[in-house]
Amino acid sequence: MVLVVGSTMVLVVLPIARLVQIVLGEGARDLGEVLTAPGLGTAVLNTIVLAVLVTVIAVPAGTLMALGLRRADLPGRGFWRMAVLLPVVVPEFVLAYSWTQAYGRAGFTGALFGLEWEGVLGFGGVLVVLVVNAVPLAYLLAAVGLAARGEPNLERAARACGAGAATVLRTVTLPLLRPAIAAAAVLVFVLTLGTFAIPQVMGAPAGFTTVTTRIYADLARGSDPFTFIEAVTLALLLVVLAVLVIAPADTVLGPRLRVTRVAEAEGAPIVAARTSASRWMAAGLGCYLLAAVALPLLALVSAALTRAIGIPPSPANWTLDHVTSVLDQRTVEAVGRSLGLAFLAATLLTVLGGCVAVLERRRSGRWVGTLITLTLVLPGSTLAVALLITYGRWFGGTLTLVLLAYLAKLWAFAHRPISGALDRLPPEEMHAARASGASTLTAVRTVALRPLAPALLCAWLVCFVIALHEVTMSSLLYGPGSETLAVVVLNSQELGRIGQTAALSLLLTVLMAVPALLLWMVLRWLRTAHA
Amino acid sequence: MSTLPIRTAGYLLALSLLSCGGEDEASTDSITLYTCISDTTVQPMLEEFEQANPDSEVELFRAPTGELNARVAGDVRSGGLRADVIWGCDPLTVQAYVDQDLVGGWIPDNASAVPEEFRTADYVGAQVLYMVVVHRDGVDAPQTWADLTDPELAGATAVPDPTFAASALGTLGYFADADGYGLDFYADLEGNGAVQVSSPTDVTVGVAQGVYEAGMTIANEAYLAEEDGSPINVTWPEPGGIAIHGPIALARHSADSAVAQDFLTYVVSEQGQQTLADAGSYSTLPGVSGPTIPPDAPIVLPDWPAIAEDTDELLSSYQEIFAG
Repeated sequence: MVLVVGSTMVLVVLPIARLVQIVLGEGARDLGEVLTAPGLGTAVLNTIVLAVLVTVIAVPAGTLMALGLRRADLPGRGFWRMAVLLPVVVPEFVLAYSWTQAYGRAGFTGALFGLEWEGVLGFGGVLVVLVVNAVPLAYLLAAVGLAARGEPNLERAARACGAGAATVLRTVTLPLLRPAIAAAAVLVFVLTLGTFAIPQVMGAPAGFTTVTTRIYADLARGSDPFTFIEAVTLALLLVVLAVLVIAPADTVLGPRLRVTRVAEAEGAPIVAARTSASRWMAAGLGCYLLAAVALPLLALVSAALTRAIGIPPSPANWTLDHVTSVLDQRTVEAVGRSLGLAFLAATLLTVLGGCVAVLERRRSGRWVGTLITLTLVLPGSTLAVALLITYGRWFGGTLTLVLLAYLAKLWAFAHRPISGALDRLPPEEMHAARASGASTLTAVRTVALRPLAPALLCAWLVCFVIALHEVTMSSLLYGPGSETLAVVVLNSQELGRIGQTAALSLLLTVLMAVPALLLWMVLRWLRTAHA
Repeated sequence: MSTLPIRTAGYLLALSLLSCGGEDEASTDSITLYTCISDTTVQPMLEEFEQANPDSEVELFRAPTGELNARVAGDVRSGGLRADVIWGCDPLTVQAYVDQDLVGGWIPDNASAVPEEFRTADYVGAQVLYMVVVHRDGVDAPQTWADLTDPELAGATAVPDPTFAASALGTLGYFADADGYGLDFYADLEGNGAVQVSSPTDVTVGVAQGVYEAGMTIANEAYLAEEDGSPINVTWPEPGGIAIHGPIALARHSADSAVAQDFLTYVVSEQGQQTLADAGSYSTLPGVSGPTIPPDAPIVLPDWPAIAEDTDELLSSYQEIFAG
């Protein structure tokens, strides 16, 4: 309790309060001018439309994927389960950039098949890539929901009583999944409100603006105080938008979605033996991944290996120069720092997220879950400034400040998946364990951890991956001796040498994929050992 | 669930955290430089300076202008600017710091060798970018900037976004005031189907890939891509390549710092400027040989004070033309 309240004050309340104080203190009289600036209405509208559309498309898509991948008869299920997570492993700006390289004018598919998508720069491209980026998150939350909440015996019973697959889905599986789906919807919605890299890379060339791209434009020419106030005000506007949507959702829906169940999920999920359907499903997944991830990544590899921009990527023009030039001492040190920082952040976040999930089950603690979602909507640049203003006096330029920024930004990411699974855990079982003489630690380990394991792991993994490829906050907060990988990436990006940026991006992607693969193997091994 | 073990774990982690905040106390005099100049240019200069001054250390914070501005704004509101020297990428940014009394009031003696148009009493230009035309192989080299509105280039030119890149803002300011151009030039570009991208880098990359036939971009970047083998050419059209200088200035609170003053003196010196030029940036000091610049290349300068005065107006007129 003390930990949660203290952390909420430090990570959320104080930084946001400082931003409010700055706007009211320094810019109260400019407020009207900021909020009526030409083009702001369009940017706000674009932001809301994007957030709604991405949520409406990505959450059902992710849920369907999770349901599909539950079928044991799906050919290559282990591979697909891993592969659908790939887009989240690729850093956002890399994903955006690789899409423009793959499908844009004079892009990869243009060179190979004469297929070009003019709309890749603009609203269409931004929407599609945001969806691709959000689907794995929704999938992960739904899959965790299924693992933690699924009731295969209930489903079996329903089937035995004559219900069709659709009826079982509608009356048994989906109602059980509701908390997980709600968690996914909130996260995707808020994340899209505050997203910057994808609209900047793909929207700006077509004149498509969002609130976040305006904030960055303000900062870019914001060495005078007025534009800085404008940037902070716009960021707070995002917070208000998030509050308007999430607070009612959390208050009204939150308690209703929770159901208490027995901790032990029994039996294997039912499988309909219709192999042709599952083959179609595998083919569909394959096509989706090919278009959404494989081709763009291939374009990136081609850029990393080709000597110069604009020459054909034929073997005569191949070179390893870009790859070797980015693999220097500084990169290696920065990678080490980023890995350590992401590991620490993910671990702390899982603990903090778990604490909030426990706390919000009490009436007095409900507001915390909503509150910690607010720092997620703040764009990285503004959140970093807020933390710098609040704590820069003591931690300016240190890794501690970068870590605080990660914790503030990603807390909701850790909290929502755990919260969505926690009602698997009836308090009576904990009480029973304690009453039978188990220490708190033993009770947590033997009773609570097992049903919660998938959710905790999911929370940790998502936080680790996102912290590892976060660019804006770390590049704004780092100091001497605390350069992270993001800083190295930005340095190369600024030089305009696409080959090097592509090589670094690939390095970053591989860095993500390796721990993810290891984790998957450990999980598999655990499952077989358990069975 | 009791939170006791979790809390204990939290404290332990918090302790381990505190240890990562520690910095070693250096016995050397150290100053902090905030800059947006490219990393490849800054690093060799820092090395050379530290080698020549073994008791001095320059700690670097390098970020794009947007992040740099945010960092300075954050510093100012949390105990004051933490940089001793700021080296910006355009005069508007640095002038705004001067106006807020953060930097200025001193320039090194050797700054007198830098042409007058690149310096004021508060800062001195220590690097310069040239906005020029990049075009695909096989496209006729534009003789004047106005040639970018040629119907032959309809729908095939790219311009950088002045709300995003200060160099593009300087260029906009120059044309707004230039004889025979004015904002009509941008209206003509737009009328001819020109595409606005974010940064000059995006222009270079787009032209190299063949997305566009020609565009406005930064000279040294375009030359680099051309040397790598990209199928592009660089032209300095009349009335000239537009010079955007990056001024360096001493922080007000470091007015007495000998190391900071030494560093500024070094950066402006012939040796410092030669190192900068060797690293691929254009020097402001006459006679320093650096990246490619044709012998008779015409060069023009924006009227920075006028741009500073009219920034909002300029940008909103521009946005009316290039509204998405």
